[in-house]
Amino acid sequence: MEEKEIFILKHKWLIITLTVLIIIACIFPLMKTTINSDLMSYLPDDMPSKINNDKIEQVFGKSDPLLIVFETDDVLNESTLKRIQALSKEFNRMKDFDMVMSLFDTKSIKGEDGAMLVNPVLKRIPKSESRREKLREEIKTNELAYKLIVSEDFRYTIIILNSVSKKTDIELMSIIYDLFEKYPGNETISINGQAFLRAEANNKISRDFMILLPIGMLIMAIFLWVSFKEKRGVLLPTFVVAISIIIAMALIPLLGWQLSIIGVLIPIMMIAIANDYGIHFIAKYQELNAKHPDMTMNQIVKEVTLYLKKPVILTGITTIVGISGLVTHVMLPAKQMGVVTAVGVAFALLLSLTFIPVMMVFFKKGKVHNSFSKNKPENGFLNKLLSNLANIIAKRPRQIIYAFISFLVIVVFGLVQFNIASDFDSILPKNHSYNISLNIANKHFGGTKNISVMFEGDMKDPEILKRMDYYEQELEIMPEVGTVNSIASMIRIMSRAINDPGEEFYDKIPDTREAVAQYLELYSMSGDPEDFEDFVDFDYTKAVVLIQYQADNLKTINKIVDKVKTLMAKDKNLSVIGGISLIDKDLSQAIAIGQRDSLIFAFFAILILLMIIFKSKAAGLIGSFPLLFALVCTFGIMGWTGIELNIVTALLSSISIGLGVDYTIHIFWRLKSELKSGTPYAEAISISLKTTGRGIIINAFSVIVGFSILFLSAFPLIQTFAFLIIISILLCLASALILIPAICILTKPKFLEK
Amino acid sequence: MNIRNILTVVTLVIASSGIFAQTAKEISDKASNIIDFKAMEMSLTLKIYDTKGRERVRQISTASKNFGEINKTIMKFTAPPDVKGTSILIYDYENKDDDMWIYMPAIRKTRRIVSSEKGKSFMGSEFTNADMSKPNMNDFDYKIISSETYKGHSCWKIETTCKDEDIEDENGFSKKIAWIEKKTYLCHKIEFYDFAGELYKIQSIEQYKKQSNNKYFAFYMKMENEQNARKSIMTINKFQLGSKLTESTFTPAMLKK
Repeated sequence: MEEKEIFILKHKWLIITLTVLIIIACIFPLMKTTINSDLMSYLPDDMPSKINNDKIEQVFGKSDPLLIVFETDDVLNESTLKRIQALSKEFNRMKDFDMVMSLFDTKSIKGEDGAMLVNPVLKRIPKSESRREKLREEIKTNELAYKLIVSEDFRYTIIILNSVSKKTDIELMSIIYDLFEKYPGNETISINGQAFLRAEANNKISRDFMILLPIGMLIMAIFLWVSFKEKRGVLLPTFVVAISIIIAMALIPLLGWQLSIIGVLIPIMMIAIANDYGIHFIAKYQELNAKHPDMTMNQIVKEVTLYLKKPVILTGITTIVGISGLVTHVMLPAKQMGVVTAVGVAFALLLSLTFIPVMMVFFKKGKVHNSFSKNKPENGFLNKLLSNLANIIAKRPRQIIYAFISFLVIVVFGLVQFNIASDFDSILPKNHSYNISLNIANKHFGGTKNISVMFEGDMKDPEILKRMDYYEQELEIMPEVGTVNSIASMIRIMSRAINDPGEEFYDKIPDTREAVAQYLELYSMSGDPEDFEDFVDFDYTKAVVLIQYQADNLKTINKIVDKVKTLMAKDKNLSVIGGISLIDKDLSQAIAIGQRDSLIFAFFAILILLMIIFKSKAAGLIGSFPLLFALVCTFGIMGWTGIELNIVTALLSSISIGLGVDYTIHIFWRLKSELKSGTPYAEAISISLKTTGRGIIINAFSVIVGFSILFLSAFPLIQTFAFLIIISILLCLASALILIPAICILTKPKFLEK
Repeated sequence: MNIRNILTVVTLVIASSGIFAQTAKEISDKASNIIDFKAMEMSLTLKIYDTKGRERVRQISTASKNFGEINKTIMKFTAPPDVKGTSILIYDYENKDDDMWIYMPAIRKTRRIVSSEKGKSFMGSEFTNADMSKPNMNDFDYKIISSETYKGHSCWKIETTCKDEDIEDENGFSKKIAWIEKKTYLCHKIEFYDFAGELYKIQSIEQYKKQSNNKYFAFYMKMENEQNARKSIMTINKFQLGSKLTESTFTPAMLKK
């Protein structure tokens, strides 16, 4: 030991040089960091729903719709229509969109006076009240426009764009905003669509980094100053945190990854966790400095390094192992988080045991810290509290366990309401344009969820078309379903335009293949052949049924998906069921499975580690209790508060296991050392709580302060994460300081007395 | 300098000043007239290819004749079998939207179609309805860009630009450049440019045959979309100048026959 320690001090220049080299080596990849806020793109390529969706997109083109919602008292007023006309004209002329759908693009196909009329819904803007009302009545009878492009109450109208743009999302959105400014108006505009979501998330990720990182570092520095009142106490741990952030962030581009919304968490996690080891070092240095004024700096550094090596390495390893649970996650951002933070924490650990001691030698010995010169802690509030707590634990261990059990039972009921997020819609705040438009689309335009079902065969065959038509009717009965569209519904619309009411072929799929072919030929002459390309491919061998519906939870999505499957599963022409809804569904499953796997991994890894550290099975079992308790309670609280398990909250359990187990290890360590020296149980608990317990509380609060910075994030998802991780740390703290000593008093495990 | 040289210089100066030279508009007008037929009958094959090279074939026999100010065209599908017998009648008026009727044999029904979509695709091909009819000369500005030899023909390159955005929307392009042969006024190639001014489609017109009225008829036309790699080819199988059909044939009631 002695030799090794000397090694560190002997090679101090090597350590300093290596540290500087690592920083320099990390700066270059850091410059190449790119943001990818598109969570969909992180889904594994072999996910069945993704493969199915790709199959459909290969035939029918990529679907990346943008929805622009206009709200005003009456959308048929002249100025609103003029604005929409100007905008849709501009959009139509842009190459970024292969489809523009507005009141001025949507077709009206109808039969009138023995003729079939194919026109845009709006050819001319009505200037008089009577013409406006005539238009209103016409729209009400147009099933391609009413409740699809214009809301039932005419308060809302939408422009739908399908983006095929090669521009970045931010560039594309800025062009659209410029057009809104070029054609100003009184309408309230809100936007929906993945491109918009990605652009907004991208901006907010950058904003979060710009704001959270400096504020986080500042708060940490203040916290360190308050604790140590010494420059080295601020500088050295801050330096370690800064380097570990640089290393962790540089790893992302180095491993060929991009920064996702979860990336925002990484530096903050480093701020919360990576300074722990440095703090221990400084604290111990100050303690020795006060107790042994005659020791030289070199001696103190040697002593501290020797003393801290084992517990710091152990708690470091448990944290790394806990976080590494995320590596098993199927979602790449979670995996990234696991790898990157584990490596970051490992470096922080390494630097705290090498770089900090080396740098300490360069400093002169500082003044003795206040808390050591006076006997403050004995009279302090915290000390009193811990002392009383120790008394209660010693006297009423059973009652304490009952109290924990009762709390657990109440909280466990929350699990009934525990939900897994069904989409990424909650990424942005509720009052954000994206969510406002989402609500409008759900309420007035048939919903924003979609399922696509592809059929293969002769798509002019009336039998297939009639079956598709039947599925549509069955689905449209469901209250959640907004619209169902396919080539079959187009043919029915045409049958109503070609035939008059009461005639044989009116409002139905014709009986012969020839009639279907002739309807289609007619349409290709009167309308735009591209109108069909969304529904049927060039050689009429593949067709798609598009189902649009509204759902804000997995249950509704499952209901619709199940209905689609039971209806069509046996259809011999069914090829693929796809659409974003199924990806959402798979994603929820992936989050749940990822949560389960990372939880199991972290839990058992920690259990085994505890068994090894304390060379006892009982240590593993008793030590895992608080973690289990904290986790079940956190999930229960999520249920009670309606917080869903999503891509961000799914990271919670691994991180809290990694952090929470440290408290248990510290308490076990101290209890063991007290009991070993013959202290009776009640007193051993009291001493452990007042010494180590106090340290644990301070440590936990430094972590909580670190994570609180996340409340300033622009993403509600991240704010929720901050709330839950704080709750979870508090629960771990409570069980380490109260539950564990109570269990130990009752069971008197042998490993503590060895 | 002798008198001949002086005359040459003077002629050149006058020619370039445009006093005697033809304007781009006149050239375009002549190019349009040289292929204008008052009456004809023909059968054609229209092949439509998508991006992946898949083919859709339509065979159509058609007759067209002017009656007063109205050009009347009748088209009948002869293949593929599922649309065989489907007939279309079009009245092309000078100053208002076309009238169109379609007869669908499968449901034994004639229906009039009213559509304002003129710059749109012709039967689902890369050709537009505008390509099929005579353009309104006053909708465009004309300019001679240069002279160029194209496939052995000495041609003018004439740029035709839509006068306003409404005309652009109606025709589906912002400008086009045509290669018009100096000797015959036959157009061999047209490049169409989209609203952003980028190359959009290229039309090749080949196999011109001189008819007895000294006008020319092209037996092969190809339209390639440069932006989505689709193309359509129209081949004339049989052509007859003039038509013996009477006006009564060009009526909706006769479509069934």
